[in-house]
Amino acid sequence: MKIPGAIERVLLDERTIAARVSELAAQISADYADAENVVLIGVLKGSFIFLADLARRLTVAHHVDFIALSSYNRGVVSTGAVRLILDTRTSISGRHVLVVEDIVDTGCTLNYLLCTLRARRPASLCACVLLSKPERRQVEVPVDYLGFEIPDVWVVGYGLDYADRFRTLPYIGILRREVYEK
Amino acid sequence: MGLRDDVAKILIPEDVLQARVAELGQVINATYTDADCPLLVCVLKGAFMFLADLMRHLEVRHAVDFMEISSYGAGTVSSGVVRILLDLEQNVERRHVLIVEDIIDSGRTLDYITRNLRTRNPASLRVCTLLSKPSRREIDVPVDLIGFEIPDEFVMGYGLDFAEEYRNLPFIGVLKEKVYAGNEQ
Repeated sequence: MKIPGAIERVLLDERTIAARVSELAAQISADYADAENVVLIGVLKGSFIFLADLARRLTVAHHVDFIALSSYNRGVVSTGAVRLILDTRTSISGRHVLVVEDIVDTGCTLNYLLCTLRARRPASLCACVLLSKPERRQVEVPVDYLGFEIPDVWVVGYGLDYADRFRTLPYIGILRREVYEK
Repeated sequence: MGLRDDVAKILIPEDVLQARVAELGQVINATYTDADCPLLVCVLKGAFMFLADLMRHLEVRHAVDFMEISSYGAGTVSSGVVRILLDLEQNVERRHVLIVEDIIDSGRTLDYITRNLRTRNPASLRVCTLLSKPSRREIDVPVDLIGFEIPDEFVMGYGLDFAEEYRNLPFIGVLKEKVYAGNEQ
């Protein structure tokens, strides 16, 4: 597959991602082996590919649900408050909830989301995140299952986009600085 | 794995499924140009797994958006009118739109979605479905790309569920009758 010119280099190739997703799935399957009523909540749009690959490798029965978020304008960045534009189809009360996210950056959004979901009294609430940029963290947020720690660079592919582009590259690549600093 | 015990038979094994998804990807690559930048509209929840694999084969420039819909209930079955729970983030006016579906059964829901999107004046509107049950069709809705035509059996896996279970099976299977007895797909 040809690599678009906008990509400086491949950070995580397809094989590396697949191997790590399998490891995460094995760990989650072991941890939830005795849990009933498990629901995976994918955060749109970014996490759908990760979710599709993770779910297939889980040996524990589970439901899949989705939420979609939209940020308010800049004024409220510090609180991480986001608009829930699609809520889960079914109630999560009393269920074992695993939030599936593509990336945690400042941690504000994930923290806000977990607080919102926790208020609904799930039996348990954990987060599974493919990528984390620890240098960017502003809010301490627990990530129970983490794929990779990455440096503070603009990454695209495997669900992550730049202006809705490059989202479906099968690997995670670093976007050239000139592309987003025009 | 407990879920697999409910599978009466595997209708489409994983390798056959993946090979066909790759072929569909190639057809899409040949259908559009980078300048078209088609918008793939994934209808949740069922189509997410199909889309995740389909996109791995796309070389043509494209974007992805999602819709989630829910039926109003028994009274509106005949009209196919559904509630849009999540609408597209993007304006599709003058965009090339490709609807990505997991399965087409009666065709009523798809017919409604295509009519709805057509009112938004897309440059083109096509439909790609993984599965089709032609024997169940009640409305003749045009489908441009079909992965597999299947008989009228109770199928699940690869995104398709029964009572929210089985979505994550990597193949398309037929559910044992004792599991779905009394329900309709």
